[in-house]
Amino acid sequence: MKGIRPSRWGGQLLHARSSPATIPRRNFLASTVRCQSTVQEPAEDLIDQIPEEGETLPRKLPSPLPEKALQSAKLAALHSRLSLSKKIPLQTLARALVTPSADPNSSFNNANLAFLGSTIINYHVAEYITCKWPRLPMVIHYEALRAFSGPESLAQISRRWGVEAAAAPGEEVDPGLLQWTSNSGPLVGTRWGGYVRAETDRKHSFYRRGMSSRVVLDSDFGDAVDAGSVEDAHQHNHDTSFSSFVQAVVGAIYSHSGREAAKDFVESHILSRQVDLSSLFEFQLPTRELAMLCAREGFEPPLARLESETGRHSRTPVYVVGIYSGKEKLGEGNAPSLDYARRKACMNALKSWYLYSPGNKVRVPSDMMEEGAKPWKAPHIDIGEVI
Amino acid sequence: MDVRTLSRPATQLLKTTRQTLPLTTSRGHKTTARTKRALKIAPHDSFLPSRSQPFPAADHIIYNPPSSEASPEHTPFIFLPANDPRREAIQRMRLASPEALGSVAGAASPEDDADLPPAMSYPRRRAQYNLTEDDMAEMRRLRNEDPLTWSTNALSKKFNCSPIIVSIAAPAPAEHKKWLEEKAERRRERWGPIKTQAREDRGRRAEMLYRGEI
Repeated sequence: MKGIRPSRWGGQLLHARSSPATIPRRNFLASTVRCQSTVQEPAEDLIDQIPEEGETLPRKLPSPLPEKALQSAKLAALHSRLSLSKKIPLQTLARALVTPSADPNSSFNNANLAFLGSTIINYHVAEYITCKWPRLPMVIHYEALRAFSGPESLAQISRRWGVEAAAAPGEEVDPGLLQWTSNSGPLVGTRWGGYVRAETDRKHSFYRRGMSSRVVLDSDFGDAVDAGSVEDAHQHNHDTSFSSFVQAVVGAIYSHSGREAAKDFVESHILSRQVDLSSLFEFQLPTRELAMLCAREGFEPPLARLESETGRHSRTPVYVVGIYSGKEKLGEGNAPSLDYARRKACMNALKSWYLYSPGNKVRVPSDMMEEGAKPWKAPHIDIGEVI
Repeated sequence: MDVRTLSRPATQLLKTTRQTLPLTTSRGHKTTARTKRALKIAPHDSFLPSRSQPFPAADHIIYNPPSSEASPEHTPFIFLPANDPRREAIQRMRLASPEALGSVAGAASPEDDADLPPAMSYPRRRAQYNLTEDDMAEMRRLRNEDPLTWSTNALSKKFNCSPIIVSIAAPAPAEHKKWLEEKAERRRERWGPIKTQAREDRGRRAEMLYRGEI
């Protein structure tokens, strides 16, 4: 079975593949010339170049100064539109809008906040998916995670919050605009490294990339960190930058208001979105998979039964086929041919197995961190995928 | 000169007639009252209350829109895990009214199948476990001696097992497989563009089916 990426659902065309680019690495030991205070600190060898009062700074900064945040109407509007707490200062929100592509200096961009926020978002989404759909195969689990908290979804969320991008990042632009540029090549694994597999250099050699190694080695969504696999660098950078703002806001809420507030924010903005998980499945041998499932679980072998049909000798017949195990009905499908109807019925039966949910209000492990929580009851744990 | 002056108005006439007269004539409803009258259609019978019984009629449910494909979010009874509360609830309901909801899953007997829809005939797995070690060795020997005579189907008939078992237990020699592949390739080369396209479309349709797009 394969998972279909939400961004590749029907109607959305694939982007043309651009030439592969090298992975830009962040220089961790880059010296910080600027500092958090607005007064410029003189460096040892630059003492002669301290600007006098009233003189312009010797070089243009890549992002607006933190003190300008208090004068920005856009920033204040965004702060109140998101109903953020008063504990979160406008300067932090302004910093969440500066992406590493605009300002590579990690003391001024949102890289640290976004990394913190992404771990919090992915943790809450993953525990929700695991408890709500305990039988999901790992591929579908990854795609569901991507549908909730992937870069494309988070970019959409930040667009709906009304975040706008600056035409070009710089010192003089409004701090209420997102500072990003797509000129810096694909931003892959720039935040806190990211494990780059050794075999990505060997492009043409066959290498087995199994699900277990994806769990251990690859990114949160099971993708190998590889700049060469980016199809559309501009779109990729756009999504990464816009999503980094959402992640940085969650990180800021966590650092200023605490765990509970961050969880509430994630639940109300990210987990409240609807995802149709049944459209993520792509089967390869559904009839065989269902037979294997019935054999594994000790059910009677599945048998297709023709429930109803119309227009057998016409140009557009319709057959309704049900799959039964003994006397129990597992699934039903309709199609213009008997074979397709049977395969569709098998696929529906398998989907109803994988999409089993204990209920709409599932308890997740992080609920236990609240004070006065009821004793924990273990959720349903499935033995694993069928094939 | 005369011909030209005569012909010019004639062509213009032709052009104007084509522009003014529409290809299909239709009449619009020019006023609100006429439009309302034209759009007034009696509701479908399924929306109306049942008139079969005299007033006051018994309560009934109107299924409109009618029943459609079941959602995969609805888990069938035997797919529910043992600790799910829905399992006990369904079992209780079935015990209360066995004829309405079908009896609890048990061994299927011929008389039980009577109320189920007719089974379809298609090749499916029927495990027999009738082959012994010697049968397997014999199968392999025959396949290696003469893979042309002892094809998968011939062996499956001889040993009364499925062709899949034969292809697993006694695979053909590599050169025979290569020869078969070349033969199929030669046959494929003789296809015309229409047949080739039709085969490609069939494969594409199957992929769409497995993605749930058709």
